[in-house]
Order: sequence, then C-alpha cells, then structure tokens
Amino acid sequence: MLPSYLTMAAILFCIGLYGALVKRNAVVVLLSLELMLNAVNLNLIAFSKYGVAPSLTGQIFSLFTITVAAAEAAIGVAILIALFRLRGTVNVDEFNKMRR
Amino acid sequence: MSILSDIPILSFILLSPLLGLLVILLLPKQRSGWMKTAAVITTLVPLILSLWLYTDFDKQQGGVSFEEQHTWVEVPLNKESQNGVSEFLFHFQYELGVDGLSLPLLLLTALVSAMAALAAVHVKKRWKAFFSWFLLLETGMLGVFLARDLFLFFVFFEITLIAMYFLIGIWGYFKRERAANQFIIYNGIGSAIMLVAFVILVNTAGFRIDQVGEQVSFIYSGSYTDIFRNMADPTAWVNMSPEQLGSINPFLMTDTMQQVLFIMLLVAFGIKLPIFPFHTWMLKVHTEATPSIVMIHSGILLKMGAYGLLRFGFLLFPGQARSFASLLAVLGLINLLYGAILAFRQREFKLVLAYSSISHMGIVLLGFAAFNEIGMQGAVFQLVSHGLISALLFLIVGSIYERTGTTELNELGGLARSMPFLSGVLLAAGLASLGLPGLSGFVGEFLSLLGLFESMRWLVAAAALGIVLTAVYVLRAVLKITYGPLPERFGALRDARLVEAVPMIVLLAFILLLGCYPSILTDTVQLSVEGLLKPLFATRAGG
Amino acid sequence: MDKYTQAAWIIPLFPLVAFLVLTALGRSYRRAGVFIGSLGSLAAFAMSLLILTDRLSGSEVDYNHSFDWIAIGDYTLRIGFEVTNLTALMLVVVTLVSFIVNVYSAGYMKDDERITVFYGYVALFTFSMLGLVLSDNLLSFYIFWELVGVCSFLLIGFWFTLPKARAAAKKAFIVTRIGDAGLLLAILLLFWYMPDHALDFTTIQSVFDGQSGAITNGITTLIALLIFLGAMGKSGQFPLHVWLPDAMEGPTPISALIHAATMVAAGVFLVARTYDIFQDSAAAMETIAYIGGFTAIFAATIALAQNDIKRILAYSTVSQLGYMMMALGLGSLTGGIFHLFTHAFFKALLFLGAGSIIHAVHTQNINEMGGLGSKMKVTAWTFAIGALALAGIPPLSGFWSKDLILSIAWETNPLLFVVGLATAFCTALYMSRLFFLVFTGKPSAATSGAKESSALMTVPLVVLAALALAAGFIETPWNGWFGGWLNDGAEEAHDSAVAIVASIAVGLLGIYIGWLVYGKRSVSSSALRENTPWLVRVLERSYYMDEFYAAVIVKPLKLIGSALTAFDIYVIGGIVRLTGAAVSTAGKTAARLQNGQVQTYGLAAVIGFVILVVAIVGRRFLP
Repeated sequence: MLPSYLTMAAILFCIGLYGALVKRNAVVVLLSLELMLNAVNLNLIAFSKYGVAPSLTGQIFSLFTITVAAAEAAIGVAILIALFRLRGTVNVDEFNKMRR
Repeated sequence: MSILSDIPILSFILLSPLLGLLVILLLPKQRSGWMKTAAVITTLVPLILSLWLYTDFDKQQGGVSFEEQHTWVEVPLNKESQNGVSEFLFHFQYELGVDGLSLPLLLLTALVSAMAALAAVHVKKRWKAFFSWFLLLETGMLGVFLARDLFLFFVFFEITLIAMYFLIGIWGYFKRERAANQFIIYNGIGSAIMLVAFVILVNTAGFRIDQVGEQVSFIYSGSYTDIFRNMADPTAWVNMSPEQLGSINPFLMTDTMQQVLFIMLLVAFGIKLPIFPFHTWMLKVHTEATPSIVMIHSGILLKMGAYGLLRFGFLLFPGQARSFASLLAVLGLINLLYGAILAFRQREFKLVLAYSSISHMGIVLLGFAAFNEIGMQGAVFQLVSHGLISALLFLIVGSIYERTGTTELNELGGLARSMPFLSGVLLAAGLASLGLPGLSGFVGEFLSLLGLFESMRWLVAAAALGIVLTAVYVLRAVLKITYGPLPERFGALRDARLVEAVPMIVLLAFILLLGCYPSILTDTVQLSVEGLLKPLFATRAGG
Repeated sequence: MDKYTQAAWIIPLFPLVAFLVLTALGRSYRRAGVFIGSLGSLAAFAMSLLILTDRLSGSEVDYNHSFDWIAIGDYTLRIGFEVTNLTALMLVVVTLVSFIVNVYSAGYMKDDERITVFYGYVALFTFSMLGLVLSDNLLSFYIFWELVGVCSFLLIGFWFTLPKARAAAKKAFIVTRIGDAGLLLAILLLFWYMPDHALDFTTIQSVFDGQSGAITNGITTLIALLIFLGAMGKSGQFPLHVWLPDAMEGPTPISALIHAATMVAAGVFLVARTYDIFQDSAAAMETIAYIGGFTAIFAATIALAQNDIKRILAYSTVSQLGYMMMALGLGSLTGGIFHLFTHAFFKALLFLGAGSIIHAVHTQNINEMGGLGSKMKVTAWTFAIGALALAGIPPLSGFWSKDLILSIAWETNPLLFVVGLATAFCTALYMSRLFFLVFTGKPSAATSGAKESSALMTVPLVVLAALALAAGFIETPWNGWFGGWLNDGAEEAHDSAVAIVASIAVGLLGIYIGWLVYGKRSVSSSALRENTPWLVRVLERSYYMDEFYAAVIVKPLKLIGSALTAFDIYVIGGIVRLTGAAVSTAGKTAARLQNGQVQTYGLAAVIGFVILVVAIVGRRFLP
C-alpha cells in the first residue's frame, strides 16, 4: 500500500512545487504551498500506518503541521492584503523591491 | 617549575582582552575617559603576564612550553568502518603553546597593543566601538602567536582581518573606506590561499592513527605538533611512496605537491609581509588608518606574515624552502632597495614610513634566505626590532598630526624648536630605523647580513647599498620635519603631553635595551628553536 | 704595574655618566651642565694619564678583557676593551682635547640657550670616541665608530634651524655612511674567513703575519681596501672628503674636537689598528699611499683659494690626514701615528684660535679681517705657534712628524716625496696667507671693535700652544724613542738630511711668499686671479666635487626614484586596479541572477536540490 500513498504524495508535491514556482498570482502561489504541505502530511500519515516502525507519532505531527499551515496561510494572506493595498496588484512578478 | 605551569596562563593572556571588552560594553556610551582607561588597563594585563612569562620561560629546555590542550571541534566522517577501524574524525583542538619563536612576538604584541591603546587618546568618535574592535584585534593577534593548531590559527588570523577592516574603515582619514576594502580584498585572497594549503595539510600530513584499547581511530588532525612530526618523519604516511608501502597511499604528499604548497604559503604570507609586488594595499593602510591602528598594523600585523612564513612555510617544508633560497634572497633584496629608493622620493611622511617598512621587511627575507642560525636569528631580531621602531614612529606621527594637521614633508619643518622632546624621540627612532649601533635596528640588520654573507656574498654587497640608502631617506624625512626654520604657524605648538611621552619612552627604552643587550632576545630564540631549525639545516648536506 | 690599566673600562663611563646626567637634568641647569660635562672629561683625562704612566713604566703585556655580546650556536660575537701603547696614547689625546674643548666652550657657547644639550652631545661623543679607542675587536670598534659618526652629525647640526647646518649634518652622515658600509663588508668578510670567526685585533695580528697563509692574497687585499674605504669616509680622504669642509657649519669647538683632533683621525687609527692586514697586501699599501698623497696635495691646493677661515682649516685637516695616510701606506706606522698625535694639538689650537677670532669679529671671511694682532695678543701668538707647527718649522712639533714622513718617502717613493714637499709648500703658503690677512694690516670695519676673548677661551689656547711646541720632541731624527715604544722596538729612527733640509726650505719659502703677498703686500694678491681666472675659480669651487656628485649620484638617484615611483603607481597599481576591475565586472554579471523574483530563487534552490539528490543517490549505481 505504501508506494501508492507515496506516489500520490509525490505527485501532489510536484504540482504544488510547480504552482509555487510558475504561477503569477500570489494567491495561487499560497494555495500551492498548502498543497505541498499537505503532500508532506500525507507522507507522515502513510509512514505512521505502513512504515517499518508504525507509530502514532506521525499522525500527531501531521496535526501540528496542519496547525502551522493554518497560521502560515493566515499570515501569508495578511501580507498579501497589505501588499495589495500598497501596490494594487497580487502579481508576484512585480514584487521585486527586495532586489535593491 | 613555577606556579605559571600550574595555571592556564596562556588562556588567561589570550582571553583577558575579551574580559576588558565586556567591561567596555557595559560602560555608558559618552564616557570616553572611562573607556580609554579601561582599555589601557586591559591591555596592561597581557603585557604584564607575558613579561612574566618571558622571564619565566625556560631557555634551556627548548621546544614548546606552557602547553594547553582541549578538544575543540570533532567532525566524525561518515565513512564505512573497515578493518577494525572504528571511526574517522576531523579533529581540531584548542591548543596553545609558546616556543622561542612565538614568545618574543607575543611579548611584542602585548607591548605594542598597550602602547597603541595609550596612543588612542587621539580618537575622536565612537569610542565604545573603537575599543571593542581594538580589544578583539588584540585577542586575534595574541591568538595567532599562541595557536598550535592550524584551524585555530586560521580563525585568529581572520579575526584580526575583520577587526582591522572596521578599525580602518570607520576611524581612518578621508579615503579610509577604499583602504579598508583594499586591505580586506588582498588579505582575504591571502587567507583563502592559506586555507586551501591548510586543508591539504590536514588531509595529508595531519593524518594520525589513535589506538585506545580495541578502538582504532583514524584522525585528520589540525595540530601543528602532529603535522610537524609527520612531515619530518620519513616513515609517516605522508612521506611513504606507493612502492615503499606496497599499496595506494591516499595521504602521500609528492614533491610537486610540497613545492606547490610552499609556494601557496609563500604567497599567502607574502601578501601580509608584504613581498614586493603585493605591497600596494599596505601603503593605503599606512596613510589612511588612524596612527594607533597603524602602530599595530606596522608593528605586529606585518610580523604575522613573517611568523606564518617561518612557522608553516620553512619549518614544514625545509627542503623546498632551501631550494627557493636564492629566490627569497633576491626578493628580499628587491624589497630592501625598492622600498628604500621609493621612500626617498615620497612627499608624505607616512608613505616614507610605509616604504621603509617594505625595505625593512626585505632584511627579514634576507635573514631567512641565509639558512643558517645567524641569519634566522637576525630575521627574528629584525621582526621584533622593526615592530618596536615602526610603532614608535607612528606614535610620533600621530602626535605630530594632532598638532600640525599635516604629515606632508613640504609643510613641516623646524619642529625641534617648539617640540624638543618629540623631535628628539623622532630623531632617535629614525636613527634606530637606519640601523645605528646601540639601538635595536642594527643588531637585526647586522645578523641578517652576516648570516647571508656565508652563502651569497654579492647579494650582501648590494644590500650594503641599501644601508646607505636607508640613511639617505630616513635623514631626509626626519631632518625635514625637525630641523630647519620653523614655520610661523607652528610657533605655538606644545610639546608631548605625559600620556604621549610615556609610551614613547617605554618603546625607546626597549629599543635601547635590545640594541645594547641583544642576548636577552637571542638567547630565548636560540636554544628553544634549535630543535625546530634542525631539519631546516639538515637538508643542507643533502642538497 | 697594571694597577690602573685594569680599570681602563671606567674611562668611557665618566663622560657617559655625564651625558646621562645632563640629559636627565634638562636645559635649565646651565652652569651645572658646563660643570658636569667638564668634570666628566677631566676625570677621564686623569684616568688616561694614569694608564699612560703605566704603559710608560714598561708594562709590555697588552691588557685585554672581553665578554660575549651575542652567542648564536657555535658563533659568538664579542665586545671588549684592550689597552696597548697605541690606545693609551690615543686615550690621552682624546681626553685631553676633549677636556680643553669643554673648558673653552664654557666661554664660547656662553650665550647659547641650548648649552646643556651641547655639553651632553660632547660628553656622548667623548664616550663613543673612548669606546672606539679601547675596543679590542672590529665589531665593537664598528659600533663606536658609528656612534661617533652620529655624535658628529648631531653637533654639526647643532644650530638646527639653519638650513645649511641641516644640509651639512645630513651630508656628513651619509658620506661617512658610504665608508661605513665598506667597513661593515670588511667585517663580514673577516668573520667568515678568520679561523674561529674571531674579530679581535690580537687574532688578526697573528693571522695576518705574512706567513700563515690562512687567507688568500686576493681576499686580504679586498678586506684591506674595504677597511680603508671606511677610513676614507671618516678621515675625509679623496673622494669621500666632501663632507668635512661643510661640517664647519657646526660650532667651532666641535670643529676642533671632532673634525680636527679626534674623530677624523679615527680612520688613521683604524688603519693603524689593523695594520697587519695592510702589510700583508702590497696593493692595498700602495693604494693607501697614493690616495693619501693625492688627498694631501689636492686639499692643500683648495685651501689656497678659500676665504672662510674655518674652511681653510678644514681643507688643511683633509690635507694633513692625507699625509698620515700616506705615511701609513709607505709602511711607517710611527710616521702616521706621530703626525696624528702632533696634528691633534696644533690643529685643535688653530681651530680654537679661529673660534676666538670668530667670537670677536662675528665673521668667518678672512678678507673682512685684518689688524687683529694688536687687539688679540694671546690669540695671535698662540695662533702663530699653531700655524708654524702646521707649516713644519723647527723646532715645533709639526716639523718633526712631517719630517719623519718625508724622510720615509725619500727613502721609498720619490714621487710621493715630491708630492709631500709640494703639499708642505702649499701648507706654509696658505697658513701664512691666513695669518697675515687676519692679524696684520689695517683693521677693517668688522675688526675695529674686536677684543681679546675671556680667560676661559685663552687659557686652553696657551695650553695647546705649549703642547704644539713641545710634543714633537718624543721622536726626532736622532731619537727614535716614540717609534720604539709604539712598535715594541721594531722601528728605527729615520735620518735623512735631504728630507730635513728640503722640508725646512719649502716651509720657509712658502711663508716668505705668503709674507711678500699678504704681509708686505709688495706683490699684488690679485695678480694670479687676473692672469688665470679659471684656476682660481676651480680652486675656490673645490674642483667642482660637489657639483660632480650632484650630477653623477644625486640626480640619477632622484631620477631612478621618480621612475620607480611612477612604476609603483602605474604598473603595479595598474595591475591591481585591473584585477579589481575584472573581479567587479564578474560580480556585476553574477548579480544579474539576483532579480528579486522569489520564484527564480526557489527554482534555483530546487535545481540545486535535484542535483544533490542525483549525486547522492546516483553514487550507488556507480561501479
């Protein structure tokens, strides 16, 4: 069973990664990040059930991750709104002020 | 033995400036007087301790004394264990020790630092930051001379670079930032080359097998003692050719590698020394940094180059060093004459002194190139002597600039009328610099040339020309400043204050002491390094 | 009978202590300074006299004591002192002249605000000179040799605000430094060639005895010539004499002490000390003789045309030093040292007399003087004694020593005999010119108000005049006692009637011509100037030696310096800048990757991660 879960997680992760690197809309980038986090969660749960040494720890950790992800999303969206108010756009291509 | 061997005296010397740094950090920002006092007192601690150390140093014993050893960094290497070897380790130690080579330089460092701290009365801004960097710099310099581990040495060497960078860049004159940048780039390149050389050394000559009971560990050691022993031992792994060993030897250092490593070390430390084409950075530092920093720079930091070259270049690669003897001698001669001729043409006193440093470092190289005990002694003597003399000269430069606002030779003159004491000390320092017997400069110069004369007569004859030229440029500059008519605007200048006079007198006293009674230094250097120098001279017979 | 000799090391300590006390006291204690300085040299003089009596009463063994200065492995450098007949004699000369000059300066320098500094320098000089005399080996000799050089430099530049004094001091130091470099090389050569690396004079004597053959002839010559190079610098031999006339910028007592009696004679002393090396090399001896002879006639002719009283005496000193060197080169140690001995007194006398005159008239130009004989009786009489002694008129001391040298030249080298005679003639001529112009004739504007100097200045003159009168009788053609004492009985008295007659004749002739031209004025003094203006100009400009050096050495050195400075700035600095520019260009190129787009950075990170994974995982599939 394990390989199919892992494959599934890997596919999810790759989609997330692709989205995070390619999409221009910052909201979509944030969504893609969530996707990657969830891929990780899936891995954790899969290992905790079917791994070499199954234990409940993995599932508990995935709960932590979900909490952290929620916080991250909240902060991310907050920054995004602030940026939108400032710059009037959510296009990440235009957020290159850090360059200088 | 005395109580010195029971306490970690070297750590105490090394860390005492850091304690002072903590105190200064706690002082209020505007209390410059408190901070100056604290800094001076702090620098006195290593000075007194190292003086004590110097008197207590057992000259008869030789070798490394007052050693301290603690494991510092151990990096296990994730290699598969095989043949009963239980672990592979990179092993760096906090290992301190002094021998006849480093002890005089340690004392010099402590002395010049204390005098420079006194000279820092001229600093006008951001005292807290200044003295913090200053004390960090002192720790770095002390560490360089104390460290017995390659990695530790490198770390302290880098600390001095960073501290110097800020000290030049913030408290210097107008083009200070450029000077600081050039300083850090040049020395950074030198350090990078040194680091590569050190890594290669640790991976080959540093290899050591430890066996505790059943447990066998293969260790890549950064300890100088290990590396020195392995390099000198023909049966060590680093020297075993595959034919002798009967299998592939990953630790073998071939002759070519040794040569390349020696050249790398020569360049790395040659930049610091500085050897002829690498000297431009130090001209900027000499002119742009504040005088108390130049005292340290010219008095000690240049000596770190020579010390490193001797310690890591010559002592680890005696054969290679010997085969480069003529090159070293020629480089030394170029330094000597080139520096002297250029010093003769400069219009700015600080530049005269900068080129004079190049010239005097040439004598050090000549002494090294002699490859006999006299030359080696002469070179070490010259290091200490030049450290004292150039520190004194820049101390005076600081006082003169403070009063006249210039160091241009054309604008100065006749200062002996309004400042007899300062001018007298300047004249004495100038005479010491041109090698007047009775002052320390003569002994170093004489011994270096005496040593070199054994093998390279004509070179010494050419170097004698340098002695004449030295007199020419020193007298030209010093007499221009002190003799002659006094410009009207300098008429009301006051002579040196007590706080300026004290370091001058102390430095002059040391210069005089070394000039009249050189055995106080040569005996210390002699017996303890005889053992170290032996492999260097043993190669003479073999070619 | 060595009870005093053993304590010889104390002698230099007196002036050293005086120097230290004077330096510590500072400038305010003017009278105490004079007193301390004089006391130091007096004590040294007394001690030297005691030692001389020791030596005279017949102790043959040279006293020697030395200790390790630096010990390096198997090599040792030693420092020590030694008393021989020669050094005992020099001790007395140095301390006596030093004491007399100390007393004299109390009058001469009375109004100078830095008189204590002056006394301190003089004490330091006396210390160094005594150390030099007492040294038992070449290294300690060299150390003190340099120290006297630096004292001379300090005293020449004593009136430091004058640019001329500054230039003269610098020139003196640098020109003698050239000679010193030669001496240093000689020491290095000796160190590596001598058995056991010994540098002391006793060993040198035994190694260079002409038979041992421990050192080849070529090296011996080289060593001898390098030592002589050092002596040339200090003793103002051609072509390194140029500093000595300029050194007259210093206070006059200093010219008497350093640049007439003691330091400039150190070169002669050095050759005498290492005489065995020279005797081993015929080529070196010949070089010395000819350079000495040439210097003698060369400087004497220049002295004829000078107008500055001190410069005349300075060139005269150069000329007489050449005489001494010539004597040494001709193989007569006695002749050289004897002339050194007598010259020290009468030349110090002449300089102090000149100082007395300058003090009174405030000019140094002899054309502005005249008629001083009646106003300054003591100065005039003592000066006359000194001048006659220098001109070689019997029975004054200069006659005996000059005659000894001339008779040796007569026996060995006719050419140098002629040169010596010509020099003697010139000497008599320029001294009579000087004397008659200064002391006879009508008083000029400068001299009309002149008064005799105080007793502090005239008593030293009288003492020195007595010595200049009497010092010659220790060695006469009939009594070779001095030579025997100096050489342990090795040398006999030279007795040549030709030389005696000839030297008296040229001396008298010179004085007579001088009297005709400048005293009686029956011959116009400007006749020569009108007929051969070029000759007079060449002599006045000292054969254009300074100009020659400026063109041949100083200018090229400056040019090389400028060229190298340009090289340093443009070539080496250019390479540095080029490297810097290259690095900075590379940095700018690389900075383009840094476009501020988070996604680009992320992509780079992912690519890096993939490479890592491939590298780590892929290694397993490698063979």
